Amino acid sequence: MTISRVLVANRGEIALRVIRACRALGIESVLAVSEADRESLPAKMSDRVVCIGPARAAESYLKVEAIISAALGSGADAVHPGYGFLAERPELAEACVEGKIKFIGPSAENIRRMGNKLLARGLARNYGILLIPGSEKVGNFKEAALVAKEVGFPILLKAAAGGGGRGIKIVTESGEIQGAFETAAAEARAAFGDETLYVERYIPNARHIEVQILGDSFGNVIHVGERDCSLQRRHQKVIEEAPAYALSGPLREEIRKAAVVIAKNIGYENAGTIEFILDQDSEKFYFLEMNTRIQVEHPVTEAITGIDLVQEQIRIADGHALSFSQTQVEFSGHAIECRITAESAQDGFRPCPGSITEWHPSDGADIRVDSHGYAGYAVPPFYDSLLAKLIVHGENRVKTVARMQEALAGFIVSGIDTTIPFLRMLVCQLDYIKGKVNTRWLEKMVADLPSPGPKTD
Amino acid sequence: MDLTEDDVLEILNLIEKSSFDFLQLQMGDLKLVVSKGGYMGSAALAASGDHAPSAQPAAAEAKKEAAAAQPKPKAPVVREGTVPINAPMVGTFYITPEPGAPPFVQVGSRIDEDTTVGLVEVMKVFNAVRSGVRGVVAEICVQGGEFVEYGQTLILVKPEGKG
Repeated sequence: MTISRVLVANRGEIALRVIRACRALGIESVLAVSEADRESLPAKMSDRVVCIGPARAAESYLKVEAIISAALGSGADAVHPGYGFLAERPELAEACVEGKIKFIGPSAENIRRMGNKLLARGLARNYGILLIPGSEKVGNFKEAALVAKEVGFPILLKAAAGGGGRGIKIVTESGEIQGAFETAAAEARAAFGDETLYVERYIPNARHIEVQILGDSFGNVIHVGERDCSLQRRHQKVIEEAPAYALSGPLREEIRKAAVVIAKNIGYENAGTIEFILDQDSEKFYFLEMNTRIQVEHPVTEAITGIDLVQEQIRIADGHALSFSQTQVEFSGHAIECRITAESAQDGFRPCPGSITEWHPSDGADIRVDSHGYAGYAVPPFYDSLLAKLIVHGENRVKTVARMQEALAGFIVSGIDTTIPFLRMLVCQLDYIKGKVNTRWLEKMVADLPSPGPKTD
Repeated sequence: MDLTEDDVLEILNLIEKSSFDFLQLQMGDLKLVVSKGGYMGSAALAASGDHAPSAQPAAAEAKKEAAAAQPKPKAPVVREGTVPINAPMVGTFYITPEPGAPPFVQVGSRIDEDTTVGLVEVMKVFNAVRSGVRGVVAEICVQGGEFVEYGQTLILVKPEGKG
């Protein structure tokens, strides 16, 4: 290993995850923190901490110069961007190259090509992958309305520079299109610095299926199986599973092959995920987007393959060939991840920053908790609400659901509201246990919940 | 006896048509809670002897303590003849759709219930603040870019009847 010190350019559970991977490989970690994260668990766990700016992400975690100067100043020879923040900004990958620091991720060129959803759609089309009917760039709501007329409502307004479920608005009728266009454009500008929007037809009975890809600098590209992330709320994944249990054998092979074709053709290096929408009515799948980074839900793939994806990312960036070939990747059993966020589901999923007074994560065989939470930790209001990922593994799906029910029952957090009570309720639902869901199921279930009584406190 | 996954799914199909809100299946070492309703099921689960209840009193205590330690939240502003528009969530308030752009509303602006009067950004999501009242903007109580608390008054409106 030529990498000896990694600057972790992220926060929360993924920062901790990367620090642990570094430790396992005998590499030192330096954590870049904002002022709000000086006391965070990853700050306590890393070998060194460098404060890169004030709490606001725009002045700290989103500042390329701050990250690069922290890396150079602390003598790091590689940067791991985690997910979110700068992970998919080609500027960081470029600045790393300029500073002679290894970027643990794909090339700036591939981030740029796949980061722009319109460019990515064009590439996938060239490789013979089906695309969801939609448009090129729409400049204003009137253009969007024209496309909507063509493909039919409901439609999705999506940010070309978006991803990870940000900058997406669903529009069900023409009256809503102007307001949705303005909010989507404002959100896209603020979040990605690019307000370009495009339109996609909304597929009502869909599943979200994604394939994990690994590529090395020798041109080897393999898949590490697929995940089903159909349980979403406001386009944010809530529960993810591996493998994608709804796929028939032939369809599973096809979707994996399509992902490898795309990654191989663009010369993809490092870990990435190709997302597809499976139309359950037509049994067709469509290219959605590619995420050029490690995903939040990567642990479910790790659970069923035994592969440490973050360690593999570091090895690839260090110039090593993949540690295994396609035929050596073996899948065993089923895994489910629940995202626990600091939100009050009973109160419209209102974000609930504040102090954690009690923290007892689930424990037991085949249970994994990735979290930066601890008793006494104050969840800051400045960042994403993800607090913990609870991952369970079992020999089949039903047994894994049963284990998840138990694991959630034993996860105790107080001081702030979390989505644990909501998740407990969710994994007991008959439809969920049977696997009869689509990407709309969760929202519908939330809408159908009897409204909670008036608050007594 | 160890049931296969197909056996369990078959059992679920058989019971699906019967009426229940919540039931617990125990088959060999597999313990599965099945619900067709909302939170009742999980409340029953929690009450059925898991560790959750034992933590309840402690949690309540902790919550009380936390509440006592916190500084007083910014209460909604009450001014006769006006109706407040309060922050629907904690976050950063923006009065303009983007830096440098004209504000959504100004003092004197005529608004109706559906007018967007600002944005609150929380954890990277921008949320439009809907007026909820018809009238004329009398006062803007916070600065753009200011950190606002849940329920804090953003704007005071002099209401007008439907017309």
